[in-house]
This record gives sequence, structure tokens and C-alpha cells, in this order.
Amino acid sequence: MTDEAGVLLRVSGFGIVAGVIYWFVSDFEALGAISLLLLGFGPGFAGLILIQEQRHRGGTRESRADAMRRFAGIPPQDPPGPKDLAAEDLGVLPLPTIWPLAASMGVAVLFTGLIYGLWLVILGLGLLVYATWGWLAAVNRENRYGRLQADTEAPSPQSGPTSDPRPYPDPGPPSGP
Amino acid sequence: MLVAAGCTPQSVTEEGRAVYGLYNLFLYIAAVVFVVVSGLVIWSVIRYRRRDDELPKQTHGNNRLELTWTLIPTVIVLVLFVFTMQAQNKVLDQSGDADVNITATAFQWSWRFAYEGTGAEVVGSPESIPEMVVPVGQTIRVKLLSADVVHSFYVPQTLFKRQAIPGTENLFDLTFEKTGLFHGQCTQFCGLQHPDMVFRVRVVSQGEYQSWLAAETRRGAAGQPGT
Amino acid sequence: MATTELPLPALPEAHHEEPGGIVDYLTTVDHKKIGILYIFTAFAVFLAGGVLALVVRWELASPGLQAMGENTYNQVFTMHGTLMIFLFAAQVTTGLGNYLVPLQIGAADVAFPRANAMSYWLYLFGVLIVVSSFFVAGGPAAVAWTAYAPLSTREYFQGTGMDLWIIGLAVVGVAGILGAVNLVTTIFRMRMPGMTMFRMPLFTWGVLVNQLLILFAFPALTVVFALLFLERNFGAQFFDPTYGGSPILFQHIFWFFGHPEVYIIILPIFGIINEVIPVFSRKPLFGYRAMVFAFFGIAALSFGVWAHHMFATGLVYLPYFSIMSLLIAVPTGIKVFNWIGTMWRGSITLSTAMLMSLGFIVVFLIGGITGIFLASPPIDFAVNDTYYVVAHFHYIMVGGLLYGMFAGFYFWFPKFTGRLLSERLGRWHFATFFIGFNLTFFFQFLVGLDGMPRRIADYEIERWTSANVLSTVGAFLTGVSVLIFIWNFWVSIRRGKRAGDDPWEGNSLEWVTSSPPPSHNFHHLPEVHSERPAFDYRHRGDPELAPVKTDPERDPDRG
Repeated sequence: MTDEAGVLLRVSGFGIVAGVIYWFVSDFEALGAISLLLLGFGPGFAGLILIQEQRHRGGTRESRADAMRRFAGIPPQDPPGPKDLAAEDLGVLPLPTIWPLAASMGVAVLFTGLIYGLWLVILGLGLLVYATWGWLAAVNRENRYGRLQADTEAPSPQSGPTSDPRPYPDPGPPSGP
Repeated sequence: MLVAAGCTPQSVTEEGRAVYGLYNLFLYIAAVVFVVVSGLVIWSVIRYRRRDDELPKQTHGNNRLELTWTLIPTVIVLVLFVFTMQAQNKVLDQSGDADVNITATAFQWSWRFAYEGTGAEVVGSPESIPEMVVPVGQTIRVKLLSADVVHSFYVPQTLFKRQAIPGTENLFDLTFEKTGLFHGQCTQFCGLQHPDMVFRVRVVSQGEYQSWLAAETRRGAAGQPGT
Repeated sequence: MATTELPLPALPEAHHEEPGGIVDYLTTVDHKKIGILYIFTAFAVFLAGGVLALVVRWELASPGLQAMGENTYNQVFTMHGTLMIFLFAAQVTTGLGNYLVPLQIGAADVAFPRANAMSYWLYLFGVLIVVSSFFVAGGPAAVAWTAYAPLSTREYFQGTGMDLWIIGLAVVGVAGILGAVNLVTTIFRMRMPGMTMFRMPLFTWGVLVNQLLILFAFPALTVVFALLFLERNFGAQFFDPTYGGSPILFQHIFWFFGHPEVYIIILPIFGIINEVIPVFSRKPLFGYRAMVFAFFGIAALSFGVWAHHMFATGLVYLPYFSIMSLLIAVPTGIKVFNWIGTMWRGSITLSTAMLMSLGFIVVFLIGGITGIFLASPPIDFAVNDTYYVVAHFHYIMVGGLLYGMFAGFYFWFPKFTGRLLSERLGRWHFATFFIGFNLTFFFQFLVGLDGMPRRIADYEIERWTSANVLSTVGAFLTGVSVLIFIWNFWVSIRRGKRAGDDPWEGNSLEWVTSSPPPSHNFHHLPEVHSERPAFDYRHRGDPELAPVKTDPERDPDRG
């Protein structure tokens, strides 16, 4: 179990326990009990998914004792070996795109249409569908051709960041193993 | 802090006295906590101002200390909870029969007070403030209703309020210990003229109450509710 | 929603610098620019809400109706609450989180940069929809920010302003949920190697818990708005008792959202204080793990206390909500004591950020202590819906939120812009704010105890006047302090002192990169061996101060 799953399962445990207690002490008031139980089941579901996913990924399974330790909040330990970050670990940034703005405008128009009439709902829905289409197309393009090819203008090697790229003097050879 | 939290007004009802005592208990404890904590903050700022570039000792925590200041607040709030429950039982106690039963109906934007078992009824309007007349020393049971939106029945000097919710009957007891004229007001925002939704409680002696009631009943029978 | 993870080697150095024009901001997917957009939008909303607050204080300075009629007054305080709570308070911290979280965990961006842009734009459009209600027939909603049914149903409030209010806030709610999914995923999945959960900076923890709360609380808000909208426009009957509806239903669902909302607002602020105090005390945070567990304790309890807003209804089970509310004092107390523990035997520099943090502790303490009073049902019966409550939650909201927010602004402004805010103006800002704020809300406790109800345009009791006059004077002084801050911003962004990368000797990773950071955030990341990677990096090679922990047997996370 990871810390992330642990966080979610703890929230879940609280929701379920509080919901059950509330159900009894409040003389079976349904609304609050259901809300609290939902608070329990939602994160619990997400936490179980995380655990499940980790199993699928394989890797070293945590021992039961380690899982219990983690659940109790005892500090995790560093895995042995070097873990300095390579540049590619930062991932790739997507290109600027107008589609999130367009899609939000669609949603806003659609919702406002609920007050003013069907024509506005249809207008908003149209905008939303169009924006979603454009968005998916842009994502698809970037996925297929890669970040650099999708860029219309080729990046020049000189146009790097202007400020000093290394804020501290180079640390020299890594001090750890 | 002492000045800030201040004191509640002296209560004029039996139920309110319990609240008054509870409030003061909270206030004393709160004042001590405030003085201690803000004293510690001010002390550490003065005492540990940066004097040189030397790095202070890098302490990461102290489990025993942290446990202490987890337990102390826990004990304090549990104590407060016990006293809270005692006061609450006094305030909400409805055992025993009431001497006077009044149905108070809140509406936009005034009040109607109907005296159960008699024909007496007082109806107000934003322009004319209604008066709820009650006898001193007797248990008054108010049945609180709302004709439209959510309102709230509040007489500051009883240290008590209760929401008037449409479709719900809310019952509570008030036992006035002093005669006099007391200000009351709706405190749940209820629309345009919410600030004008004022009423008065006139607490009178038993004899005065009886004669007032008789006069009101006659007027009610004649079909002209007083104000 | 596709993620942006590509199985290609990235060439961060080769990214071209984008132009800073308006098109750039309209199309940006950079979490830093989006964070800045969030902060500026929220601050604009804050200024508008602040002006409305001054209008309220102007009206209340003396009994009777002077400046406006009752309807206008009701609209003004309704919109003040709406703007401040829904559109400013929860969003400005989202903006800070957007900017800082990827930097603090060593990521290049959030998990879903395009969705991140979308949540900002949804927020902006939501704001615009709510604000547009000022210009429709009948004006904006005048039902208080809580909009209790049945007052807010069509029967009692006809204007379109109310519908725009609901729709605008619903759009903002969608934006909030989208943003929360994004930030939670970012924190769960994008941390750099070595950055375990229990090495994350406390601000990131605050944002994580805050976004989890948003994730679980905002759906309740969306539900209640949907019910209200259906009732208003499509003839549904959820809240009308004559048709079997229940007015209390509204209060229950609303406060199931409403109380966590308080902690949605305040937890990232705790996070800011947790960052500022150790840096200016030159010590690590005292009791890191206790602080994290306190976050979770507060968050969990916050879902169990919603009905303490409903004690006066007579329809809730009092002891349960009373004890749960009282217990929130425990984790909050742990936080306050740990802050003192951090300062204890430290080496304290009173910069403006630190002054604001100290102001936060004192003011929040008063707000928290009066919260204990309100958690006791009998006392709540006496002071609920009076100015006592107004004073209490302004001590939490204005006191807590604004002091923390300004502390954060003074602390991170150099990182955002590369320049320092003026410390001299900062001190003026702090002094006027501290005096003005306390003058405004201190006396509201007294007048509230004396029975002055909230949300009234007019009062007939003369002895309430003096407290109200003082309050009004304080409010305008607070307004002046905000103007000083704006002036400070205006001057410093042009001519402020150059900050360098790490003006404060910070602890977390954002201080290792340049100011402002490059578009992909880092050119270089140090190893992470503790919760203070930047500190370790400054003191690298010193086994006393910055031990390298690679041996699993030896991991003393606490000294």
C-alpha cells in the first residue's frame, strides 16, 4: 500500500465510522448518515483502485508489516541506490492551446441557457462539442508527432531561458552512492 | 480578549441563567488560553530575535511535548462538553406542564402571538410592533411556527433563540424572573424588511396578566385583534 | 481527457520562451501562468467584495437608513458574502497551489495542464455570470450568501439575478472539482524521485487536504444548487412543506458543503504559515508529522460538524455535533503550539511575511477560541445569527485567510517576479491592517452579545451606535491598508530590489530554481533526503546538517 492509498483509506475509515455512529446517535437521521457514508465509500473506492493498480504494475510487493507501519504513519524509508533526477523525468509540456478557453465558454453558455432558453443551450452545446473536437485533435497531433514536430515553428537552440540556469554552483560529483 | 469576548447581558429567564453561567466559564478558560498562547508567541519573538548568522540548533520535534499539548486541549474540551450538556439540559428541559401556552407564528415581516385556550391574539406588522404579554414567574411554552420562510425568534435577554421553520413545530419554554419590557427580533434573514421584524415581550405581574388577557379575549371575540 | 505524458525524451532546454502577450495568457497551459491568472482574478473579486463591505459599514455607521434602501442593502451584503466566500477565498489559495505545488514537488507542470487551463476559464466565466446579475432587471440576489430555501425559491424571490447566482456558482463548482482532481493527481503522481509523501512541504500537504475536501464537499454544493434551480425554474418541490418538501433539507446539504468550505479556505493558509515560520526562524518545522496528522484530523472532523450551523433549528442531534465541533480545537491547538515550538530557540527575522504570520496566529487564536464558544449549543442559542458570529467568522476568514494570504504574497512574490516587495511599505501595510482589522471586528463581539442581529440595514437601539461607528472606522482603515499593498505591488514590480533565486534561505524546492522559474520549472534538481531539500542543498557536504539517507536502516525523520 502506498502513502497515497493510505491517505484515502484513512479518510474512508473516518467517513464510515462517523456515518455509522451518527446513524445511531441521531436517532436514524438519514441524510447526514448517507452523506457521511458516501464520504466513506468515495475515497475508499479510490484508495482500493490505487492499491489494485499498484498490484497490476507489479514491482516489489510490500510486506504486510510494512503496510501496517505505513498505515500507522511510520516514516517510509529511502530505497537504496542513487535517485538524482534526469532531465527527461520532468516530462513533456503540452503546447499552448485555445481549446480549454473555448470549451469553458461552451459550458458557461450552456448553463446560462438553462435560464434564458433552449437556443442558448444548443449554442453552448455546439461550442462545447466543437471545442472538445479541437482539443482532442490537438492532443492527438501532439501524441502522434511528438512535442517538437507538432510545434509549427521550430524552436531555436539559442532561445533558452534567460536567467542563470544553475542557481547554485555545480555541486560537483554526487556525494551519495 | 477579556474585553473582546465581554459578557452576555444578564439573563431575565430561569433558562438563561444556565447559559450565562456557562458563558462565563468558557470566558475564563478562553482568557487563560489566550493569554498563555499569545504570551508565548510574543515572548519567543522578543527572546529569539535573530542576532547573528549562526544557525540555531535544528530540532525537529519532541514527541512528549507534542503529546502534552494534544492531551491538554482534549481534556479542556471534554470538561467544557460536560458543562455544556448540563446547561443544555436546563435550557431545553420541557418536563412538567406549562402555565401559559402561546403559539407564535412568524411571517414576512412580523409576528402573531395566539394564547392557547383563550381567544386572545396579538398580530403585528412592520409598522406596528407586536407585544407578547406574559406573566412573571410562570412557565411559558412557546409553539413556534412559520407561515412562509425561515425566521428566528430571539429575545436577547433570554439568551435564547429558535428558528421558525415552515412545516415544523418548534417548542421551547421560557420562565421570566423579572418584569419589564424586552426587545425581541427576527435574526434569520427573511427578505426585504427583515430588520423591521421586531417585537416586544412585556413581562407583567400575574394580576395584570389576567386582566390584560381578559380584555384581549373580549377584543378577539369581537373580531378585532389588538396590536 | 488525455494526459500529457509522452514516451519521448524531453528537451526542456529547447523550449522556446513564449511571448508574454494577451494571446499567450489566453492559450497558456503553464501552471505558473494559470496560477497568476487565478490570483489576479481572485484579488479583483476581493477588491469588489471589499468595496461592498465598505458600503455595508457606511450604512451601519448610524441607525436608520441613510445611503440606500433595504433592498439595495440586502443585495450588497449578499453579494459581499458571495464574492468573498465562493469566488475569492477558495480560489486565491487554489491559485497559489497551482503555482507552487508543482515547484514544491519537483514536477514540470500539473498532471493535466490543459484541464488546468479549463478549470481557470470555467472559474472566470462563473465569476462573470455571477457579476452579470448586477445588470439584470431586479438586480442581484438578495437572499444572503447562504440562500436558505424557501426564501430563495421563486415564490419569494423572483428576479433572474438569483438564477444567474446559482448558475454562476455551479460553474465555479465544476471548475473547483476539475481543479481538485488535477491537483490531487499531481501530488499523488508527479512527485520527483525521493520526494515521498512525508517529505512534501507542508504547503503542498495543505493544498492536498484542501483539494480532497473540495472533491468531497463541492458535489454537495452542486446538488443543493441543482435542487434549488429545479425548484425555481422547472416546478420541482423539494423545499415546500405544503407539497411534502422540507426546508431543513436545504440547510443540511448546504452546510454539509458549507463547513468543510471553511477548512477548504483555511488549510492552505495553515500551509503558508507552516512554510513561512520555519524559514524566518531558521529551524525546521517543529513536529512535521503531527502537523500532517493535524491537517487530516481537521479535515475529517470538518465533515462531522455541519449541523453546528443549525443548532438553532431545534431539529438536529446536539451532543454529536457539539463534541465533534469542540474536538476540532485539538488538532488546531497542535498546530498553534507547534508553530510556537518552531520559533522557540530559533533565530527570528521579523520580515513582513513573518509579521503577517504572527498576526495570523494571534487573530486566528481569537477566531478559534470564539469558535469553541459557538460549538456549545446553549451559547450558540444566545449568539447565533448575531454580530458575535459575524465577528467570529471574520476573525477566521479575514484574520486567518488575509493574514496568511498576504504572508504568502510577501514570501513568494520574489519567486513569482524576481523582485522583492518593499519591506518598509510592508510594515505600514501590516500596521494599518492589524489595527484596522481589530477595530472593525473586535467591537462586533460586544454588540453581538448585546443582541444585534446580523444582516440588518437598520437598527433601532441607540446604544449599538458607538460600536458600529468604531467598526466602520476600522473597516475604512483596513481599506487603506489594502491600498498600501496595491501601491507596494505597483512600485515593487517595476523598481523593487532584485531578489535572486533564494532571498529568504527557503526550505522547499521552489527556492532551488530561478526567479521566476523557467517554463519547465527546473534546470536542475537536487536530491531529496528530507522535508527540506533546498536547505540540504545549501548545506550539502555537511553531514551534521544535511545527512544523505540512503541506508534503509538509518532514517531518523525526526531528530
